[in-house]
Amino acid sequence: MAAHRFMVASLLLCCFLHSCYGVTFSSLQRTLVVTASPTPGQVVKAGEDQITVTWSFNQTFPGTDSAYKTIKVMLCYAPISQVDRAWRNTVDNLAKDKTCQFQIVAKPYSPSNNSFTWTIEKDIPQATYFVRSYAYNSDSSEAAYGQTTDAHKTTNLFEVQAITGRHVSLDIASVCFSAFSVLSLFVFFLVEKRKTKMSQQK
Amino acid sequence: MEEPHTANNSDHPKFALPVDSEHKATEFRVYSVAAPHMRAFHLSWISFFSCFVSTFAAPPLLPIIRDNLNLTSTDIGNAGIAAVSGAVFARIAMGTACDLFGPRLASASLILITTPAVYCSAIANSSISFLLVRFFTGFSLATFVSTQFWMSSMFSAKVVGTANGVAGGWGNLGGGATQLIMPLVFSLIRDIGAVRFTAWRIAFFIPALFQTLSAYAVFFLGQDMPDGNFSQLQKSGDKHKDKFTQAGIIAASFGLANIFSRPGGGIISDIVAKRFGMRGRIWTLWTVQTLGGVFCILLGRVGSLSVSIVVLLVFSLFVQAACGLTFGIVPFVSQRSLGIISGMTGGGGNVGAVLTQVIFFRGSRYSTETGITLMGIMIICCTLPMLLIYFPQWGGMFCGPSSKGTTEEDYYMSEWNSTEKEKGFHQSSLKFSDNSKSERGRRVDSAPTPSNGTPLSHA
Repeated sequence: MAAHRFMVASLLLCCFLHSCYGVTFSSLQRTLVVTASPTPGQVVKAGEDQITVTWSFNQTFPGTDSAYKTIKVMLCYAPISQVDRAWRNTVDNLAKDKTCQFQIVAKPYSPSNNSFTWTIEKDIPQATYFVRSYAYNSDSSEAAYGQTTDAHKTTNLFEVQAITGRHVSLDIASVCFSAFSVLSLFVFFLVEKRKTKMSQQK
Repeated sequence: MEEPHTANNSDHPKFALPVDSEHKATEFRVYSVAAPHMRAFHLSWISFFSCFVSTFAAPPLLPIIRDNLNLTSTDIGNAGIAAVSGAVFARIAMGTACDLFGPRLASASLILITTPAVYCSAIANSSISFLLVRFFTGFSLATFVSTQFWMSSMFSAKVVGTANGVAGGWGNLGGGATQLIMPLVFSLIRDIGAVRFTAWRIAFFIPALFQTLSAYAVFFLGQDMPDGNFSQLQKSGDKHKDKFTQAGIIAASFGLANIFSRPGGGIISDIVAKRFGMRGRIWTLWTVQTLGGVFCILLGRVGSLSVSIVVLLVFSLFVQAACGLTFGIVPFVSQRSLGIISGMTGGGGNVGAVLTQVIFFRGSRYSTETGITLMGIMIICCTLPMLLIYFPQWGGMFCGPSSKGTTEEDYYMSEWNSTEKEKGFHQSSLKFSDNSKSERGRRVDSAPTPSNGTPLSHA
């Protein structure tokens, strides 16, 4: 009985550790075919333009897709946008990987006829991207992937032109308040001078 | 020992607090807002706090700013260094400005001059503009100098350590408070409906407005000295204009522990001085700062997160207390050049901050842990010169007062030449000399008589 309990406990521990340490990217098979509408080098505008992504199971792949339950399609940073930016680093452990930070869509898995049109959100940063999709199995851990670019992430990349976040009203407010501060400083000096003159005359 | 000679009416009817012959308060009552002493205290720490909030408003919002402005780690690092290095020059100028114009005008002016940089943070659109706004906003950290100068002008020797420590500590608190305030303000604005990349820009108006208002408060409600403002006192002959061209002060530590630890350092300085005088102040400072260095070395060596946090807290407590203790000593170094000395001491601290970052924490030469350990060693080595501090009238760590019988009056009078003395420029230093006799501690031997027998005159 004790041995049985021990086995259950160690099995649970293994599962726990497994999900803690996470799946590694290098262990995944590239079994999905993913395409995205932007052409290589195209610049798309955040908040305005749309991209259409399609994904399907690669039928020439020797394995099966019976384990796949859900699909997530992500917008991922290309290496050039990761340089000198530790918060976008690519790490093999998918639990710690920061390559793909924006989700385009999440759907139940089906092997073909999948497509989604996405309006690029307003707060997507200015950077160069590609699209990747992950297939998840029933424990919600990654089972396979597919991406629009090659293994070195150098081909078929596109750029998102971000919004600045600035508005004319903000610009005007900043300038006005700044000018007012400096102006009030001069007023203070004048007031001070006058006060001193008055106290001298008394 | 005999008590320093206080004014005949030590509870001067004009003042809410008991004062000495220079009308500096001899008590520090933190709950009071009575003019001029405690009001000056609250104005100075609040305005200094607002400058810290503004200077360190960017870091908590960096995850959004770095995406909006497309910053790299290098850009962020450079902007961080720029934020504190601007203050090196500004503090040098501030010490002189305080000597010339008084802390009220000097600090109100500086705070108002730097608010445009905070307002313009909202319209930054590149890594260069980001660096520039952080650089110019950082100039406002020079209000540290005016804070310490103002407290040294308002509070007597007995409580100057406490006043300096509390004002400095609670001001530094702004750096910690901003880490909580800015994300809160940002979320509020974003939830109202602004896009992230606009919300952070609007959020910067909050510290900017706070800074503007505190500058107005300082100007309208503040007063340079217990008896009035510099300009009035200069014209009526009580205060003499001095011509100087240097000064610098620095100090930029952060952390919420500042609410207790830095004031604690100042309070301990005053407590120790009651019994052991200036020598006690110096010994305590050396001990506390060296221990800070020891904990810093330890911090670089510990392995687990929870132990690191504990060590970090202890380290920051000692380091911040050392800051409070330092400014328990600075007011006594010079009376004539209080501004410059305060400026250089504070400035020296910031130079240390810049140097440490450049040597140990830039690039990948040293791992962060090694850098921290080496910084601890640097702290201990830089604390050693304290062994050489020597006040002829009080002594140093290893020596007693000069056997020639130098008195406080001899020391402070030596800053003025005979022409200046004829014109009466030395009067306030004379009063200070008398009031600073408390720095002898409790000694059995009687106080030596002044070497030239000048009787103390009362204005």
